[in-house]
Amino acid sequence: MKVLIIEDEKTLAFEMEKFLKKAFFLCDLAHNFKQGFEKLEMNQYDYVLIDLGLPDGDGFDLLTKAKKSNPDAAYIILTARGKLEDRVAGLDMGADDYLAKPFFLPELQSRMQAIARRKFKVAEELLPLGNFNVDLQKRFVFFGEEQIELSRKEFDLLSYLLLHKNRVLTRIQLSEHIWGNFVDDDYDSNYIDAHIKNIRKKLNIYAPTDWLETVRGVGYRIKK
Amino acid sequence: MKLSTKLTLFITGSKLAIVGLFVLLLPFLVGQIAANYTNFSLRNQQKKVLQNINNKGLDYYLEGEENYGSYTMLKDEYIALEAAVPGLKLDTIRDTKRIVEQDTLAYRVLSFTFQKNKKNYLLEIGKTTASINLYNDALQRFALYVLIFLIALSIIIDLIFTRQLIKPLSQIIKLRLANTRFPFKKNPGNITTSTYDFKYLDESLISLMDQINEAFEKEREFTANASHEFMTPISILQNKMENLLTEESASETVQEHIVDMMRTLERLKKISRSLLLISRIENEQFSKLEQLEPQKLFNEIAEEISHRMEEKNIHLQVNLNQQIKIKNINHDLLFQLFYNLINNAIKFNKDNGTIKITDGLEKGNYTIYVIDSGFGIKAEAIPYIFDRFKKTGHAENMGYGLGLAIVKSIANYLNLKIEVSSSPEIGTTFKVTFEKTLSLHTAY
Repeated sequence: MKVLIIEDEKTLAFEMEKFLKKAFFLCDLAHNFKQGFEKLEMNQYDYVLIDLGLPDGDGFDLLTKAKKSNPDAAYIILTARGKLEDRVAGLDMGADDYLAKPFFLPELQSRMQAIARRKFKVAEELLPLGNFNVDLQKRFVFFGEEQIELSRKEFDLLSYLLLHKNRVLTRIQLSEHIWGNFVDDDYDSNYIDAHIKNIRKKLNIYAPTDWLETVRGVGYRIKK
Repeated sequence: MKLSTKLTLFITGSKLAIVGLFVLLLPFLVGQIAANYTNFSLRNQQKKVLQNINNKGLDYYLEGEENYGSYTMLKDEYIALEAAVPGLKLDTIRDTKRIVEQDTLAYRVLSFTFQKNKKNYLLEIGKTTASINLYNDALQRFALYVLIFLIALSIIIDLIFTRQLIKPLSQIIKLRLANTRFPFKKNPGNITTSTYDFKYLDESLISLMDQINEAFEKEREFTANASHEFMTPISILQNKMENLLTEESASETVQEHIVDMMRTLERLKKISRSLLLISRIENEQFSKLEQLEPQKLFNEIAEEISHRMEEKNIHLQVNLNQQIKIKNINHDLLFQLFYNLINNAIKFNKDNGTIKITDGLEKGNYTIYVIDSGFGIKAEAIPYIFDRFKKTGHAENMGYGLGLAIVKSIANYLNLKIEVSSSPEIGTTFKVTFEKTLSLHTAY
């Protein structure tokens, strides 16, 4: 999968590239409108990540132009502006998703995967997880034929960990995924642990869940 | 007391005082005028008599007799001429009594002696005091009526005029001060007055409001810009840490340190986001055209926040009875407002405590109460709980004091009224009142 990252903040672009490379994406970088436009004219990408605040042009313009040269790509708008109108405008102009900075890198990746599922209609089988199977689309966990009841948040948590299997996710990354960047007065809470405990409790009735690891002092990981 | 009322009272009072004084003086004045007039007419008659004597001689009156006396029919007036003791000299006008045909009557008498044919004569011309004062009462009454009429007329004129005169003042108050919410609107209308003082007052107020607006605008801009500018460096740091965490060379200890740093960064991020939210609310970047049912809203909040309540085993009772829909509102902001209030109620609650949500109508206004069984807020802290970064602090790790500041700015933006009452160790109640225009009764 080829990704074009159009982001004027170079360090940020490098960090995104570094992360996505580990997830086996091929990354191309552009640091301004002009470079971005040129790269879009020359290559075909699967994903285009556009920062709205480019120094030499408007990200929305670039989006409109890019849609002509790369009609099949998935577009994600990245912005520090974080205005509601930007989000609406971006989605209206054909962007597939919108991420307000600062965002967590696993979040970016999972959004990209979600678009892939939606847009490229990647036919997904049931994902195996230990002795269980997970249906991401219909949001069910099965043990054999039996369907296990998980709450919405518990399922979100489990599927997010599953999408980033073999990678430790911190409590902060997990809670931002589940509760969004909802403005909240607290910065420390153990509610992620409570949810993990519930998931383990519900699944342990059927089979062991040793694939769901607690990484001490860091967070959680699904190991396969 | 209102200025117009004061002016009216003052004008009426001062006029009545002057009129009262005049009315008290009136009998004396009228009496004085009557007396003067009588003196004048007595002197005239005296002159006429002396003239007659000079021209026609004493016998014109005396007709050979020693004395002469004449009364009018009703004894109102008399004239007497008689020989007087030699050497007596008189020229007076005074009130005295005379016996006339067995009647004792009070007269005002002019007595005058003169020499004629080497003999001393006394001339007396009298007029009864009753006849003099005959018209006094009528005159007084008439004067009083005219006066009352004139006073009433002038009070009415004064009232109309003062009302007209101070009208710009009430306009200024209405237009500039009352019903104006901060931040003030630009160009809130003109006030037409030719009174310099009012013009000056109005201009000063406008310039003051402009200054406040400007200061507020600057603060708002600063908050928005600062929190925006923070986002990029925070992004960079955050993503760097995330990558570092997945670095294979990172030992467990290093990973733990990175997570610690991420947690601190998270705090910075949340503060920036909260400030950004506040400035966005203050910049009116949210629509106010949505409708919602309170029950559904609290269901959503309960789902979102249940994990927090579980931590402290807090029981949430939502008991809404009013059949009401809230309109002209922003769902997300109202959600955030009650989320923060409930979150607050959890934070400052005791383990196994309760949070009650009830509603009601107060003077026809829809009201929602958030009642907790927590530690309560000290009375002296209550005025400051909505201030930014103000921690009423009981324990550590209670957040960074922006939750209620957000509540306050949302309430301001959505025209909601928030009141707090609290008793230490018993709990705190937040009361949120919706204006009539914000609620819609629904009959099921």
